[in-house]
Formats: sequence, structure tokens, C-alpha cells
Amino acid sequence: MGKSLKGVIPIPHIYIRGNILEKGNISGVAGDKVSWAKNLNLPRKAEYTFFAGCGYQFMRYVEGMMKAAASMGKIGLGMEKSIGISKVLGKIGIDLPSITAKVTAAGKEDTYTRILVSAASVLRKLEVDTGYMYEDEPCCGSPLYYSGFLDDYIENANKNFGIFKSQGVHKVIGLIPACTASLRDYYPKYVEGYDLEVHHFIEIVAQRLRETNIKPKLEGKLIVAYHDPCQLSRYLEIIDAPREVMASIEGLELKTPETEQDRQWSTCCGGGGLEAGSPELCERLGLKRVEELLKTGAKVIVSHCPACVMQLKRSAEKMKADVKVIDLVEIVDEALK
Amino acid sequence: MTTDNSQETDGIKELEEEILANIQTCINCRMCVNMCPTYEGWVTQSAFGRLAAINLHLRYGLGSEEELSRLIFQCATCRRCQERCRMLSTNVTPTDTIIKTRQLLARKAQARGRK
Repeated sequence: MGKSLKGVIPIPHIYIRGNILEKGNISGVAGDKVSWAKNLNLPRKAEYTFFAGCGYQFMRYVEGMMKAAASMGKIGLGMEKSIGISKVLGKIGIDLPSITAKVTAAGKEDTYTRILVSAASVLRKLEVDTGYMYEDEPCCGSPLYYSGFLDDYIENANKNFGIFKSQGVHKVIGLIPACTASLRDYYPKYVEGYDLEVHHFIEIVAQRLRETNIKPKLEGKLIVAYHDPCQLSRYLEIIDAPREVMASIEGLELKTPETEQDRQWSTCCGGGGLEAGSPELCERLGLKRVEELLKTGAKVIVSHCPACVMQLKRSAEKMKADVKVIDLVEIVDEALK
Repeated sequence: MTTDNSQETDGIKELEEEILANIQTCINCRMCVNMCPTYEGWVTQSAFGRLAAINLHLRYGLGSEEELSRLIFQCATCRRCQERCRMLSTNVTPTDTIIKTRQLLARKAQARGRK
């Protein structure tokens, strides 16, 4: 089948499809999916089930993978060859196992999985009864949808619903905007009898802060510019919740970009799917967005999506800009101490 | 919801009709052109241009599938254009239609592969 797709679907997208269908995650690394949750003692069954998704867990691998995928696209490897992934990576000079080994050695210092730990810790501090499916958590498959593999996406969605049901899941808290949009808005279209209640993490946080007397507080003052992720602001239409949470944090000041670059008009940073097929275009978008956010005068950029954080961080490094890029989860966790 | 061949072949026609119907509701205001983060001077780097290319390809066979694929895979699927259409109260959903066209191209290619 691979051959027939050549020229119609960019090779990196076909590669990611293989990873999801064969390895159950976007990076294709047979990963220790659950190691981030090792010391957290999250129960398997609870009122809400935390959906960690691929983004944060595999981001450390994805950075290397995207480079590999981009080179694959550039030199136009034949489909039949890209099926033997490790062989192909070796051929173009990327040694995935060694990249993997390097980041695994970094272990807990890894910036992305730390965000997952922070998210679990925030939910605990706000007394939300949260469980986790550990190794049973499936990949939502959303890249399949955006890359054009609708039939695979539907099959994956139906399989996943069976997994959720067999684990007794009713309410889901998603952290990654794309996964949450997939579970909340697309699954009901393609899965008969779909009845999961899906919320995004930041909605739950905003709601709990409203209900309780907890007052998050930062030591010192932090001035930030917030970047609305496309999937959060325009797909999930969650625009006010992150602002509400930020407004409730004492010591946090929010700077806003120009109206036509903020909220539902937020300029896309180019992170996510675009990078697979058009890495140069993706880079230009990232630089443009960081420039817009720097105009606010803030020295810290906050976003709430692994793809955006990765892309903005990289772009800021490329510009050698004096700015830090962090995920909103980390600030909330810090402020709740 | 099943993946047997006959249904997928039907799926192609339905998907194509859905895409074309949505494009016909575009009022050609071109407000989306400047909204597109990928726009760098060519109209095909915007929702308006991409929808026009899809329309011309599906209805009149203009351009190859490979060329069309190159244009629609350069969309960041950020939905900024779609938000613009919604604010203007049109029924066009450019991002969703672009994604559906990717799915159409994949389905057509897969159907060819089975033959």
C-alpha cells in the first residue's frame, strides 16, 4: 500500500502513521511510557482518568525523529525503504537508538516529562480524584486524521473506545490540546455509542480554583506573554480558562500581543504536523511568532501545548533571544506550593 | 465505519461531494489570505488559494494530485482562516475541507493500490 501513497502523502507523514499503528505512539520508540508516573502512586481507577498522550512523553524522542523525518523527505527515499526505519535512519546518518539512549540517561531532568509530573501534582493539590491507565493508555491517533489516514483513524478510535470501556473510564482529563480535541470532538463522530466525558486540564484547574479558597502565589514577580495554541483556542475553544488561571496567580503579570495576534486570532507558531512535511516553512513561522511575542516586552513566553513549547523554545534559541519558554502547567505547579 | 472495499469506494464519492459543496459556499472575499500564517505572497499559500486549487482539480482535473498534495500539506491546519469565515458568518470551513482533501487523496491512492 505504501507505494501507492508516494507523492500524494509526504513521506514523513507515512512514517508517523507506521509508528502509531505499529508502536502505539508517534515517535516509534518502544518506550517506557509510564516511567514519569513511577513515584506518583496514581490509582488505576478514579473519578477522572488522566490522559497523558504522546506529546510530552515522547517529545524528547520526537525532536530527533523530526530531524530524521525531514531528511527523509528531502532526499526523497522510496516508500519501500522507509518501512525499515532504523535502516533508513542509519543510511542518512541518524542513529536513533543512540539519541534515545542519551535522552534516557538524562532521565528526570527531561523538560517534557517533568511537565506531566507537574500536571499530576497540580491535580493532586487541587484535590481532583485522578487516575492513570499506565501502559494501557492508547495513542489517540490524531496525526492519522490530519495526515489523511481517515480509515486508520476510525479503526484506531473504535479500538481505543473498547480499551477505555474495559478499564472503566468515564471522565477523561486531557493535557495535550490535540489529543483532547481528538477525544472530545472527533471520536463521537466515528465511534458508535461514544459516551466519555472529556475535559481539558486547564478547564478543571480553573473550575477548582473557582470552587475552592486556594490562592496560588508566586515568589517574586513574573511577567509573561501567553501564546494561545491553535488546538486549544480554535479547536477546543478554550481561551478564557488559561487567562482565568493566570489572573488568579499572585505575582504573575500577563502581557498581551496585538489584538489580531491574540486569543482566537493567535498566530500559529508552526509547531506540530507542519514540521513533518515542510521544515523550512515551519521554522519561518516559529521565528515570526516569537518576534510578535517579544514585542510585548515580556521575557517569558508561556504556552500550554507540547508542540508549541518545543517550537517556540527552538525558535527563541535560533534567534538567540533573551527569553524563556515554559509551559503554563509548570507555573501553576510552582504557584500552588 | 468498516473498511471493506465497496464502502471505501463509496466513501471517495461522498467525501468529494462534501468537499466541493463546502467550497461552493465561499464568497471569495479573500479575507483569509492575509490571515494565513503560511502566506508569503502566493495566493496558493492561503485558504482561498488552496480551496481554489482543490476546486479546479476536482471539477476540471487541473494540476496533478502531487501538485495539489504539495499545496494542501503546506497548510498548518491552525484554523485561523476558519475562525475568520465563522466571524463573517459564512459556512465555509477551509481547514476542515483541506484536511478532508488530504483524506480524499489518501483514499484514492489506497483504492488504486488495491487494484
